[in-house]
Amino acid sequence: MRGVWLAGVLAAMAVMPCPAAAAMHWAPAPVEHEKGHGGHDRSAGKAFVLVDGEGANLTLINPKLLEKPLASEGSSVTLKATGMGNYHALLARRSQAGLQESAIRYHYMNGKPSGTSPSLLIAHEKSALEIVPDPLAREHWRYYANTDARFIVRFQGKPLAGATVMMATTNGTTVGFMADADGNLSIPLPEDFAEVKAGRADNRPAEFVLTASHHDGDSRFVTTFSAAYHVNPEQWQSTGLGLATAGGGMLLGGVMIWRMRRRKEDK
Amino acid sequence: MPLWKNLSVIRKGVQLLAFLFLVYGSVFVGFYSADKISGAFPALSCAYDAKTADYCVLIPLQHQFGHSVGRALAAGTFTLSLLLPILTTLGTFLILFVLLNKAFCGWLCPLGFFQEVMGMIGQKLRLHRTESLDDKLVDRIRPAKWLMLSLLVILFPLASGLGFVGQELGDPFCKICPSRILTTLAAGQLNQLYIDTSSIGYMILSIIADTLFGLVLVLSLTMRQPFCRICPMLALHTLFRKVGLVKLVKNYTSRCDKCGLCAKACPMDIREIHTSKEKDILMPDCTLCGRCVEFCPDKGVMALKYAVIPIKVSDPYYFKERNRAQKVWEGKKTTARQSKKS
Repeated sequence: MRGVWLAGVLAAMAVMPCPAAAAMHWAPAPVEHEKGHGGHDRSAGKAFVLVDGEGANLTLINPKLLEKPLASEGSSVTLKATGMGNYHALLARRSQAGLQESAIRYHYMNGKPSGTSPSLLIAHEKSALEIVPDPLAREHWRYYANTDARFIVRFQGKPLAGATVMMATTNGTTVGFMADADGNLSIPLPEDFAEVKAGRADNRPAEFVLTASHHDGDSRFVTTFSAAYHVNPEQWQSTGLGLATAGGGMLLGGVMIWRMRRRKEDK
Repeated sequence: MPLWKNLSVIRKGVQLLAFLFLVYGSVFVGFYSADKISGAFPALSCAYDAKTADYCVLIPLQHQFGHSVGRALAAGTFTLSLLLPILTTLGTFLILFVLLNKAFCGWLCPLGFFQEVMGMIGQKLRLHRTESLDDKLVDRIRPAKWLMLSLLVILFPLASGLGFVGQELGDPFCKICPSRILTTLAAGQLNQLYIDTSSIGYMILSIIADTLFGLVLVLSLTMRQPFCRICPMLALHTLFRKVGLVKLVKNYTSRCDKCGLCAKACPMDIREIHTSKEKDILMPDCTLCGRCVEFCPDKGVMALKYAVIPIKVSDPYYFKERNRAQKVWEGKKTTARQSKKS
């Protein structure tokens, strides 16, 4: 079984070069790093670059599944507020000579509440082969290094058993994985940040790109899912000290109760 | 007394269901429901809990004051439209609040429920309980909830957005909230019980949070609702308490002067419900738990109403039964004669 897995992963590595080199995928456009709590600037547009995406059709899908073509400036697109809040999907599709490629990225946009759960957008079939987050990290849940992220690989809307998936990070890690019989995939995000500073605001996130490939008859399908992942806060947050401090609080509570009782008795 | 007639038991059942929804809700209604339901639920259900179905109004409020209004004021780009998200958050809160009033505190809040459960454990362990706090102490504690709301939910986040204080104070209430630690621990996550060593500010806030959590845990064993007394949600609810549909009503009689059982039963030590001669006795600290109505021995003197519909009206027969049930719960023996007398 292990040999089959290894063979599958090696075969996948042979046909899928590192995403940074070949497979079409979305990445955030380089910007000057701003310190602080990100993701809450409601007015500024967010720019993304489609790497190796010449000739692709670009679409933005809103939480209610309405599709809007995206105009690119070279290889980049700038997403401006659509007026609707919640997760949107950035989708790039390209077909050429028996090869169908797609690149998907989810992006939260502020706006009027959509009234629709992101599960609708995530379940929606956006391309024949697709890597579906299960679930997509939301609100105070981000993708963190040293944690497992779960995905489902789907082909034509159905889980793809034994699909091989490559992960490449901008920190230089490249690892292969194989989905189980139900297309489920659990990916340990690597602790591969070279320099870690104490505090969330001082650490820039890195990117990971998952690439899946599948042959069906004469057609080959390649898809990518990309997202940011962050340094795990456990690097500067100590649970042991936290437990000890809570114990101190309990002790303090005990002393307070004892003093109150003494005072009552004295009266 | 049959359990289904006991208002406190009914309330515990509702609190348990609310706890399950607010802590583990995503297991039942899906992971993304917090993005759908509101994001402004007026109870301390935490967005840090990975399994929750919805989250507390205090998170968006702090972020909107800090990241939106504060930053825009600092950059000189403030427009009235920036207040719209705050109004939307408060509006969502208000709709839910109109429906249930301060009953959110007494019937739905996971931290309130936890403190009550700890109190029940304390009773069963036969710990020496402080049933009512000293009046002077109660008076000293009461302004704390307003300080928590004004400083930790509004002013510090705003000052952080303006750049007057560090980003550590961008959402300071969440940083010290014991419900954040409680609900994440209940969901099997240990990652919110920590000491943050990234800066002095974060370290102080995390020390306060963990100490407060330990303190609430132990104090709840012998004291009724220790954290509720300083909770900013109680203050926020107070601002809107007149528009809620659930009301606490009193028909004062001269017998009230000699009684005072309602104030003794109140877990928030609101002595004014005993002394007040007003009809509307929904006080700022009230959590609408209904215990005062349960322990009022006079017919029709106190009532919990939904708009004009009475939900629970004080009744001497219910009072006797409830008193007896309470004594049985507390393990106090009642002789046949006492029982007959009461």
